[in-house]
Amino acid sequence: MKRIVVPGDLVDEKPVHLMDAFIEGNKTYATVISVYDDDKKTLIPLEGLWYPRKDEIVIGVIEEAKLNTYTVQLNAPYKGIIISKYAESSMANGDMIEASVKELDKTGTVVLSRPRVLNGGKLLRIRPAKVHRLLGRSNTMLRQITDGTGTMIKVGMNGVIWLRGGDTDLATDAVMRIQDEAHVAGLTDRIGSMVKAQAPKPQPAPPHPEEGSE
Amino acid sequence: MKNNDIKLISNGKRLDGRAPNEMRSMKIVPNVVKNSGGSAYMEWGKNKIIAAVYGPGEALPRHTANPDRAVIKCRYMMAPFSSSEEHGRVGMNRRAIEISKVTAEVFENIVLLDQFPGTEINIYIEVLQSDGGTRAAGITCASVAMALSGIPMKDLPYAVSVGKVGEDVILDLDKLEDNYSDADVPLAILPRTDSVALLQMDGEMTKKQFNDAMAMAMEAGKTISKLQKDALRSQYIEQEQKYR
Repeated sequence: MKRIVVPGDLVDEKPVHLMDAFIEGNKTYATVISVYDDDKKTLIPLEGLWYPRKDEIVIGVIEEAKLNTYTVQLNAPYKGIIISKYAESSMANGDMIEASVKELDKTGTVVLSRPRVLNGGKLLRIRPAKVHRLLGRSNTMLRQITDGTGTMIKVGMNGVIWLRGGDTDLATDAVMRIQDEAHVAGLTDRIGSMVKAQAPKPQPAPPHPEEGSE
Repeated sequence: MKNNDIKLISNGKRLDGRAPNEMRSMKIVPNVVKNSGGSAYMEWGKNKIIAAVYGPGEALPRHTANPDRAVIKCRYMMAPFSSSEEHGRVGMNRRAIEISKVTAEVFENIVLLDQFPGTEINIYIEVLQSDGGTRAAGITCASVAMALSGIPMKDLPYAVSVGKVGEDVILDLDKLEDNYSDADVPLAILPRTDSVALLQMDGEMTKKQFNDAMAMAMEAGKTISKLQKDALRSQYIEQEQKYR
């Protein structure tokens, strides 16, 4: 049976090693608002912060370009830095970038590598705990939105989403709906039908200018 | 401040008609400040409070950062229009500084601070309308806001005040009782272990009265704790019910 647990709630009478829980007196308690499945012994967080892990893809905004480094705003407890010599091209303040996490250094700064500037488009911020639901198993959920709306979407594990082209408004609505309804069963089907119902119908190709002129 | 001219209890009823062990009505609304990490609005009797939590983020000024753990900073403030007394001064007065300090210490006990070294977590508590017991209401409300922000905690603290009028022990003091009772004890409790995270006492109590007051607070805590948990679960349950 699934149930919503809040910080301090008993998750299991036995010690179970889970990501968002702690063990005290041989019992397991939750640390964040989550859904616990008693049968599968899984704890899926509904709220939570992003913890940097090596090689994860993140999206951020260049906050400050210094002589040797760039500081990146990551929507996280820590700031990101890119060492200029690892950047293929120069970047300016306000540039949206995608990069992968190289390491979390001792001062609490996330060192990023392989930055790529994202041209155009817009950024969206969602709660990091919902990112896995947005991707879906084998990216099925995300593919459903990109196919239905024609929007190019890049997902940062830090909860920052970049969208460009196609019906971005519909794609935004779908992403925000996933955030709100992540814990409700049958979400993939609902998003599928939402995108299908509202997606712009393909326009007939405009007649070729030379057609009929002869 | 003792005043024998005011009779706070007569025929077993308090001035507002409550029994000695009766609390005022309460309501908690989650997520009222969209830009914050987590927030909540609380009405506790005539008290109206908003709490919002931001962070963890870069600790500023830098010298306040602790390289081993996050630091919690709290700002409790009463709005200038919140009570009939003067609260119009710019910035925090001595009382606000004290309440901010004790509130931050309550949360230092339960937040997993070592997961975010070098950062700060900010708690803002704004009292829009006050009628006694605002520090208790502030902690209760901030606790909901903290849970909604996704910051890992070991417990969900609640707070309530107890006091004494003559020989009677009373629960949840309002403004008049706060000012004229014989003792006033704000308490913050961690319900998982029933341990005390805050205890301040203004006035005197016998050992028996104190034990009775503690028992009364613990009993009331079950109601407050349930209200907090219901507020946290409400938004998710609402979404679920839409598709049932």
